Amino acid sequence: MNKDINTSEEQLNAFVDGELEAEERNGLFAEAEKSADLDQRICQHRKLKELIKHAYRDVPEPKRRLPGGRTRNSMLNLAIAASLALVLGLTAGMFLRGFLPSVSSPEELAGSGSQLAAAVTENYILHVASGQPEQMKLALQTANDLLSSADPDRPRRVEVVANEQGINLLRTDVTPYSEEISALAAKNVVFYACTKTIQRLEMRGIEVQLVPEAIPGYTALDRVVIRMKDGWQYIKI
Amino acid sequence: MAYKQLFGISQRRTFRRLLSNNRERLYRMAYAWTSDPHLADDLVQQTLLKALKNQKQLRDFSTAEGWLFRILSNCLTDYRRARREFLSGENIEIVDKTTPEHHLKHDQMIQKVRQAVQRLPLNHRQVVTLVDLEEFSYASVAQILDIPVGTVMSRLCRGRRALREQLLEMKPSENQRPVTSIKRIK
Repeated sequence: MNKDINTSEEQLNAFVDGELEAEERNGLFAEAEKSADLDQRICQHRKLKELIKHAYRDVPEPKRRLPGGRTRNSMLNLAIAASLALVLGLTAGMFLRGFLPSVSSPEELAGSGSQLAAAVTENYILHVASGQPEQMKLALQTANDLLSSADPDRPRRVEVVANEQGINLLRTDVTPYSEEISALAAKNVVFYACTKTIQRLEMRGIEVQLVPEAIPGYTALDRVVIRMKDGWQYIKI
Repeated sequence: MAYKQLFGISQRRTFRRLLSNNRERLYRMAYAWTSDPHLADDLVQQTLLKALKNQKQLRDFSTAEGWLFRILSNCLTDYRRARREFLSGENIEIVDKTTPEHHLKHDQMIQKVRQAVQRLPLNHRQVVTLVDLEEFSYASVAQILDIPVGTVMSRLCRGRRALREQLLEMKPSENQRPVTSIKRIK
């Protein structure tokens, strides 16, 4: 076996990464024909590259996400996941309503800071499905109250997810509350716009323009379930 | 005016599609960098949020993918910096938080590779994964991480050498010193 001492690792890397110019690439092919050692080194480099690709082909979803997310599942799996999510959401909603009266009603939440400070967990996901301006305002007010009532030593995270008619809260051309949304986003409240609702509106020919603070990419159901599995409190406005 | 509006609507729609289409890729990269599904998910959310806030900075959609990965890299840097400040300068190493039981259920080779990647210093890990998982060119990686192309190449060399030693049991011998170098890359 001809020992190859002329080819640097940088060259081999550039070769397997397709970074070499044609002339250098041809030269290396010719060298590899003559040197079994070089040929083996090229193989090792390629093998390593493939190993790394293979190792991250399927990466674990966050544990709070439903088994069988959107990424690589059939429609059947998706339907099963959605059903599970619905059952889980309803069950957890009933549980919260029964055992945590201080957080079950947004009306009670608004302006009840001391009760909130004593709540079991620190993070909240608010779900807005109503297009009524007063309901939207209540959602924003609740988010604000949740933040202001938090223990300064235990930062609280709040997310607002909007779907159905509630999506209007996050539409630039419809929402009456864009300034309030900006102010809350500045306090790290995160706003999610349901992708399914957006798709539904777009299929009806309605152009959905979201406020800059709104993040698409999740369905409302997905986001709620993700956060509830993560131990967040769910509040339906 | 109508044309401008239409153009704006089309751009916003394209941008939203861009974010949706790249979410999984960003997540995979964030997971490769952190080995923590929750942290990876949070980093991706921050990335999407920042991308939305700063979408006007993106002039050329052909560079959008690199731009998104650069935001992701910055989010990770911010996260590590904040954690370091919070823990009084302690050097944080992000470790694989999966349990041994979890490991048993997974292919051993995959776990071995992921652990080897995780043992790399973050700056080597980032270069190796950007090149191998996303097949970014060296020039693109240099832009994403804001480092010179030469640094990309040297980090790639060191990272891959360490991985080869751990995974392929092929330690480069001392007398195998290269005498030539690359003249030019693409």
